[in-house]
Amino acid sequence: MKPIAGIQPPLRPMSPLADLAGNSARVDTSSGIDAFANVLAKQVQDVNTMQVDANDMVHSMLTGGDVNEAEVLTAVQKADLAFRMLLQVRNKLIEAYREVQQIQI
Amino acid sequence: MLRALDISTSALVAQRTRLNAVSGNIANISSLKDENGEANPYQARQVVFQTDDSLSVSGASGVQVAEIKKSDSDPLYRYQPNHPLAIKEGKWKGYVAYPNIDLTTQMVDALESTRAYEANVGVMEITKNLSRETLTILA
Repeated sequence: MKPIAGIQPPLRPMSPLADLAGNSARVDTSSGIDAFANVLAKQVQDVNTMQVDANDMVHSMLTGGDVNEAEVLTAVQKADLAFRMLLQVRNKLIEAYREVQQIQI
Repeated sequence: MLRALDISTSALVAQRTRLNAVSGNIANISSLKDENGEANPYQARQVVFQTDDSLSVSGASGVQVAEIKKSDSDPLYRYQPNHPLAIKEGKWKGYVAYPNIDLTTQMVDALESTRAYEANVGVMEITKNLSRETLTILA
């Protein structure tokens, strides 16, 4: 996809942003999709690992294991925050996708 | 942001260790024998903290327990000549050696570590709320 020459001059004042847009437009789309999917999958994986860890610690605490409750509750809280972050990112992506889908051609 | 939670947690763990030491000291306030059954009065345990750089984030570091020291102050001698553990000879003949633990100091120590614990929980609450608030930027 090439930047359309006609709209280039009006965008000049925002040159850093225009450069950014130009760069991303030049990225090979197939590898871009792969990279994006990998990043997203890794994020999901990380959040899942945190939740599994927190779950293990809670299990260990509830069955009388030798764990510090402060550490357990922190692990739960961290997993919760990480999940909320991921959820917000996902919501934002879906929102952007919907916007693009509704573009009239 | 989540690192700040880890730092507060390290403080909670450290303060909890200190509180455990205090409960051990108070529990053993009249222990005349040591863990091997020898007639050595219990020595008060003191928890020493040190900075833990493994958790450090932008200059802030966590805390960890450096060591648990045994207080080497002299035991408290009480004159009880008929006690089975009374000292048989020397300067303290007829005396029994009791642990030198001051209940008031121990209670103050317990109170202090409780307050420190509460303060760290307060910091965690703030960190947590800050993280939540930050997420609303995206929402």
